Amino acid sequence: MQWIASGFLFVRGNSAYHRLDPRVRLAISLSIFTLSLISESIFFLSVLVLTTVGIVAFAKIIRRFAKSMIFTALVSLLAFALNYYFNPASPHQAVVFGIRLFAVISSTSLFFLTATPDELEQVMRWFRFPPDFIMIFVIAIRFVPVLMMDALQIMDAQRARGLEFDKGNIVKRFRNTIPVLVPLIAVALNRSLDLAEAMDSRAYGATKKPTSLYKLSLKRGDVIVLFMTGLGFAIGLSVSLLVTIF
Amino acid sequence: MESSNISLNSVIRFNKVDYSHPTGTIALRDINFEIVQSELVAILGANGAGKSTLVRHINGLLKPTRGTVTVFGQDTKTATPAELSRKVGIVFQNPNNQLFAQTVSREIEFALKNFGLSDDFVKRRIKWALDTFLLTEYADRSPAELSGGEKKRLCIALVLAWDPSVVILDEPTVGQDSEQKDKLTQIIKDLISQSKNVILVTHDVEFIWPLQPRIILMSNASVVADGSAQQVLGNPGVVETSSIIIPQLADFAIRSEWSKPYPATPEEVEKRIRSV
Repeated sequence: MQWIASGFLFVRGNSAYHRLDPRVRLAISLSIFTLSLISESIFFLSVLVLTTVGIVAFAKIIRRFAKSMIFTALVSLLAFALNYYFNPASPHQAVVFGIRLFAVISSTSLFFLTATPDELEQVMRWFRFPPDFIMIFVIAIRFVPVLMMDALQIMDAQRARGLEFDKGNIVKRFRNTIPVLVPLIAVALNRSLDLAEAMDSRAYGATKKPTSLYKLSLKRGDVIVLFMTGLGFAIGLSVSLLVTIF
Repeated sequence: MESSNISLNSVIRFNKVDYSHPTGTIALRDINFEIVQSELVAILGANGAGKSTLVRHINGLLKPTRGTVTVFGQDTKTATPAELSRKVGIVFQNPNNQLFAQTVSREIEFALKNFGLSDDFVKRRIKWALDTFLLTEYADRSPAELSGGEKKRLCIALVLAWDPSVVILDEPTVGQDSEQKDKLTQIIKDLISQSKNVILVTHDVEFIWPLQPRIILMSNASVVADGSAQQVLGNPGVVETSSIIIPQLADFAIRSEWSKPYPATPEEVEKRIRSV
């Protein structure tokens, strides 16, 4: 469990991919995401997944990506199984559904594993989202790994009191989560109140248009990658549409 | 300590233990020590030295990457945390990570029921815990309503309620006033007199100095000193490398160039000064 949770912890990377402008990385992920939704070809969807994995390898985040995608792989398998169970006449459709789900989530994961909360904030500012919305979103993202670590600590504390999570029938196992969920919610609420007070005392909301120390700017390498992404997206879109039509 | 020398009354034994976090960070490196019955041990060290990771190995919450940890002769790799927790009770640092029940009484009852103890015994132990830790008036109140210090007391009470043979207290003095610290000192002495083991994980050297425990000093995932309080805390060279502050009494004794053993209590200091 802790091994999987560590995959969600943000680790600042130092690959060439990490150094790209976050808007370019977003464009790459969005391209794969959109093409995955459009394509009906198993081969093309597999190419999209392999492209994502290739970028992940280039960004040197294979281990973290694998940890964060374990549940996605299981859910994709489940999606395939359910699709096949309810529609056994079309196994092709079931396979497409399973791979598509994996491709869509892996492309999203690729962006979030390589973007710092600060970069997310900058990208959202660039898109002119309301400042309060940006702050809520960024804080929510920033605190996901913190809450996961809290949950692991609470689980440890309850296991030290003799609680066995993996024993008993499904009802008993569900009830066993209460000693974890109640403190976790209490800790999260307390932390949010503390954070709100800390932000208030640091003049959050004093101005409607807060300034930003860092500004996004595209470099030559970013423009080249953005152009290649656009080209790849155009080719992918054409191929997908052609496969669908013919 | 040689790995082949196993005491007859050995309670806990770390033999060449290494532990790496799932992220790859080395948290424990070649840990070797043995704790015998009725021993009071304090584990000291700077933040991130590996103290909490070390004690999580004693009740099997963590399993060593290399080497073995044995508790009452049982390898922790072959036992579940629930089995080991019956013998080893850990009071965790943050009370908010543990409390969830509707009332203080139910909070104490939780572990006792998990261990399958009889209703009669459970009732007696709840009453004992409430009385001993001055929580009787809060018995039917929600743990969330308690102050930080009261929550900490409740966490100690709910572990001692099942009467474990080894009690591990992780930063027990945080948020406690001097009266509660004195009470805790008395409880620790009582536990030792009942032939139990107490392991303190703390930064509070002033609290442990009068107890004169055996000290295991950790730094950078390794044990850098293991000995009596006077041997370890009375050695400025060792203490300095571990970001620990020498207790005032020991510091005073060193500055006064007194011979060891250094006085552990203010009364002993007074006695020594009068004799001079």
